[in-house]
Amino acid sequence: MAELAYAAPLRTDGKEPNFLQKFGHAVAHGDIFTKLSFFIWGLGYIGHGQLIKAVLVTLVQGLGLYYLGVAGIPNLMKFGTLGTVQMEMVFNPATLKNEVNDYDNSFAILLLSVIAIVVILALLASAMAVVTSNYQLQRIRQAGRKTNTFGQDIRVYLNEKFYVTLLTLPVLGVVIFTIVPLFILIAVAFTNYDQQHMPPNALFTWVGLTNFFTLFGGGQSLSLTFGYAFGKVLIWTLVWAFFATFTTFFGGVFLAMFINDKRTKLPKLWRTLFIITIAVPQFVTLLLVRNFFSDNGIFNTMMANLGVTGLLRDAGLIGANMEYIPFLTNASWAQVMIILINIWVGVPYQMLIATGVLMNIPGDMLEAARIDGANPVQMFFAIKLPYLLSVQGPALVTDFVKNINNFNVIYLLTQDVYVTTDQAMAASSAKEVDLLVTWLFRLTQEQYNYKMAAVIGIMVFIICAVFTVVCFRFINKKEATFS
Amino acid sequence: MKKQLSLAMAAAMALSLAACGGGQSESTAQTTSTDTAASTSEATSEAAADWGDVTLTMWGAEEDQTMLREMADAFIEENKDKGNITINIGACSEADAKDNILTDPTAAADVFAFADDQLNELVAAGALQEVSLNADDVKSRNLEGSVEAASMDGKLYAYPMTADNGYFLYYDSSVISPEDAQTVDGILAAAAAAGRTFDMTVNDGWYIYSFFAGAGLQATLADDGVNTVCNWNEEPGADVAQAIMDIASNSAFVSAPDADIVSGIQNGTVCAAVSGTWNANVAQEKWGDNYAATKLPTYTLNGEQVQMSSFAGYKLVGVNPHSANVGVAMMLADYITNEANQQKRFEVRNLGPSNINVNASEEVQSAPAIAALAAQSDYADLQRVGANYWDPAASLGQILVSGDTQGKTTQQLVDDAVAGITAPVAQ
Amino acid sequence: MTQVMTASTQKQLRQGRIRRGVRSILRHLVLTVLAVIWLVPIVWLVATSFSGYRGINITTFFPASYTLDNYTNVLFHPDSVAQFPRWFANTFVVACFNCVISTCFVLMVAYAFSCCRFKSRRLLQNLSVTVNLFPGVLAMIAVYFVLRYLNLTNSYAGLIMVYAGSSGLGYLICKGFFDTVPASLREAAKLDGASEARIFLQVVIPMSRPILVYTIINSFMMPWTDFVMAKMILNSGISSDWTVAIGLYNMLSRTLVNNYFALFCAGGVLVSIPISVLFVIMQKFYVEGITSGADKG
Repeated sequence: MAELAYAAPLRTDGKEPNFLQKFGHAVAHGDIFTKLSFFIWGLGYIGHGQLIKAVLVTLVQGLGLYYLGVAGIPNLMKFGTLGTVQMEMVFNPATLKNEVNDYDNSFAILLLSVIAIVVILALLASAMAVVTSNYQLQRIRQAGRKTNTFGQDIRVYLNEKFYVTLLTLPVLGVVIFTIVPLFILIAVAFTNYDQQHMPPNALFTWVGLTNFFTLFGGGQSLSLTFGYAFGKVLIWTLVWAFFATFTTFFGGVFLAMFINDKRTKLPKLWRTLFIITIAVPQFVTLLLVRNFFSDNGIFNTMMANLGVTGLLRDAGLIGANMEYIPFLTNASWAQVMIILINIWVGVPYQMLIATGVLMNIPGDMLEAARIDGANPVQMFFAIKLPYLLSVQGPALVTDFVKNINNFNVIYLLTQDVYVTTDQAMAASSAKEVDLLVTWLFRLTQEQYNYKMAAVIGIMVFIICAVFTVVCFRFINKKEATFS
Repeated sequence: MKKQLSLAMAAAMALSLAACGGGQSESTAQTTSTDTAASTSEATSEAAADWGDVTLTMWGAEEDQTMLREMADAFIEENKDKGNITINIGACSEADAKDNILTDPTAAADVFAFADDQLNELVAAGALQEVSLNADDVKSRNLEGSVEAASMDGKLYAYPMTADNGYFLYYDSSVISPEDAQTVDGILAAAAAAGRTFDMTVNDGWYIYSFFAGAGLQATLADDGVNTVCNWNEEPGADVAQAIMDIASNSAFVSAPDADIVSGIQNGTVCAAVSGTWNANVAQEKWGDNYAATKLPTYTLNGEQVQMSSFAGYKLVGVNPHSANVGVAMMLADYITNEANQQKRFEVRNLGPSNINVNASEEVQSAPAIAALAAQSDYADLQRVGANYWDPAASLGQILVSGDTQGKTTQQLVDDAVAGITAPVAQ
Repeated sequence: MTQVMTASTQKQLRQGRIRRGVRSILRHLVLTVLAVIWLVPIVWLVATSFSGYRGINITTFFPASYTLDNYTNVLFHPDSVAQFPRWFANTFVVACFNCVISTCFVLMVAYAFSCCRFKSRRLLQNLSVTVNLFPGVLAMIAVYFVLRYLNLTNSYAGLIMVYAGSSGLGYLICKGFFDTVPASLREAAKLDGASEARIFLQVVIPMSRPILVYTIINSFMMPWTDFVMAKMILNSGISSDWTVAIGLYNMLSRTLVNNYFALFCAGGVLVSIPISVLFVIMQKFYVEGITSGADKG
């Protein structure tokens, strides 16, 4: 049966009862060991002759219960209020130490409660699985067959259930370092965790949807500017993501075609020249470029010496009394520069990918087109581009999402350099060049406004999720019609 | 069989979580109970004379690291009969101290140096230990202004370390005469004649304050200790904004960040700058005997000369209340800011002392930067502004420097700036 | 008549050759201009790293005087700000561990999703895509506190766990590659009695050199380029504990930049050299890995 289930494709095993049904069946028909195994996992396995397994699962269960007992449950009980006892410290001159009361740390309560909830869910699911598996053992024994020895079990995990062995550790890592933090931050969006409510000295508590109202401009006057800043930052984020994705993509494609063309000599050398820029760590080049284009930096000196600054001033592109070109300090200039610099950063990488993809275009397709007398431009639009898009489509979508979350480029280029001239944005410490992620990062690092940062983070997630779903729907539909 | 997949997955998950849960519970138990448990047990059995094993971390500016090491070693040597002390020195500039500490006060250094403008936020976050050992001595041996800067609501929260963290004017006297240096107009005229520039970071809340405060307007902390009160939009705020625009549009004036001012001094384009001691050393090296420093100049407001004000700046040493050895940490902070060490700080790093005796010494008084700061101190205010002050003020400066008012009148500009500055923090 | 024809064709041929010549020159000219644009910052980086002036040079592109001091300082005379040898060692250790663990994780997840069939496969895959949509910077602060409760802040173990812990999520390209490995190969091995584990280790992995190289390079480079996470976790302020990225970033802080910019450049060049060498050598594999993975998305 196991083999069958393994070989069968995902969707077709609808006949099989689901997890809950199986569990119910096991509880209803299980013997005493099977039933008891829900509470003490090992009992079932002892009863069914699998001693080593019994010890192992009981150990796991014990650890889980230990956590719940020591930290999980006590904190869960305070989860509703996130703590009530404020920290108080008194210096004791006799011991030279501070005496601290048994205070509540809201963040610790939140964190440990989230973990406790995850543990409880995991324990429950495991207990159900243990019962079901014990029922199966019971059935095997009732049928008069032998149950697996421990060694046999191990072999199963290297074979039919190899994926369990493969996935356990990575899934654990993701749960601890991604899922739990995400849950915590989603929770923070519904609290008043900010500079005035910072643990361990102060407590924070639940405030419901207040922060979301603040973001969308409900209530006080300041919230208006928060909503305003959010709108502006969001628009720039989307504009940026669009340009950053498509300029580097097409830039890479054209550069790759240019270099790979038969008429280009020494393609390898050219490619290497561009690739060198990938090898220098991004933060080094970005910080360097930031100084390169600074108001009184080397590039401005060169432009002034060449008379370009004066030319631009006469053309009205920079202010009348400007001695320099405000590459990274004026909103419009900075936005254009950031996109240009991102082309510089991203194109070599995209070129590498495009080079590989273009090589994979079936030669006969191109040959046929050439015989039909297609010129290079026609060939590009009729064959290469559709091929690239069909292959790279999903990658473009993920790139777009990555660019929405592209922290490094914006932060490194504008931090400490760019000062906003939009006073309404300044009031919520946003800048015209900020992406939602850099804004939320600065909100946490400079204003300690974790609640709003969390709200913005959730917004970013919603935007990315909607975009991804829509795009993949579209791509899948396209692909269906393609074939 | 498939149930066993979920079993294994869930079990593994539970295992890991339990494992980390164990660790967590231990550490939380520690944080909540150690202080009380340890202190009660020690209170009964031990006197303060025996410190036992003490490990402290001390943060100071990158440039101070060697000097701090020496001071720390001297402190260890002096107290070696009392306990086994280990001191680690970490780098964290005074300007960034708040950012590094507030992220997680419990993980921050036991003793740290910071600029006095961060005091209110640090106190509000409970990241500063009230000075409870030797406080009267600290108060009496330091300049009144510095003690005031280290206090809030009458309580002393930090140990004054230097009194030179403000800004003043320094110039190349081969270009600008002392009379020219009295007024912004004079400086600009002289600089223009020499084809050089007068630099100041106008798009920064710290510096732009000087214009508005000079005109008698205020920006200060509200009674709640978190928000900012500001009346820059009252008379003559709009005219001050216009005056700044007029100055900024002068071709001899450059609004540049610190780093650019330094390179400008070094390559000879800058002949006068409003900045602090940290850049004065460069100017002193470059201009040699022509280096001169004085109070800030006056600027023209509605045809009259108005003296520029400034933020008086002090560097302080604070103690982290979350330190496991708060008492020893306080003694260390006390030690590194005592008279001898302030003297040393002046000798090694040219830092202006806040200690009354050291400050009164002839060599300190004759240092141009310190004399200039002393002259400016009549016009300097204690730096007490809330977190929402900085971005709107910087934005106002940026607009005035760029000369592009976005179609707003100067009155609207200051109105908008004040709206941002006075907005309640973290709403 | 024929005479004229040949003459004109010859002329056309000649013109064609000239036109081709001009085009070829133009083509290479464009490439040269582009290459120059792409290399200017790199050249500036290298030039400044040899500069005799320690701050930012703002008057001339090339420094007025050249010296090797920056390199000797960076390598042999660490001061309290620049402890490059220590940072290099720290980062190298982190990079090696991260490289091993991350690569294993990525390969394992990719293989499980590509070659194994199980009930929750779709669900887990969708979940992983969803989780990837959350901005990583947001989770950072919570990750920090999780680590603190594990008592792992200010330790390289903690940093490695953060880098490697979530690395399983980056399995997509690798999975794309495994999808291209013919299923018949695995079937054949299975008929020979090989277990899934053996197929993974002895059939699929050896065939996946390009994607292996790609994954290894990526995970090895991570600690050299990340500074936000590292700065948050290694927050003791003790500069000898830092990684290269934190250290270099710190050199550009307001108070230091005028004394350390040239040193920053020298450090940047030193970091880039091993990565460039690795990259140029592995370029072929890298391209193969990335494209075969991208092919299937």
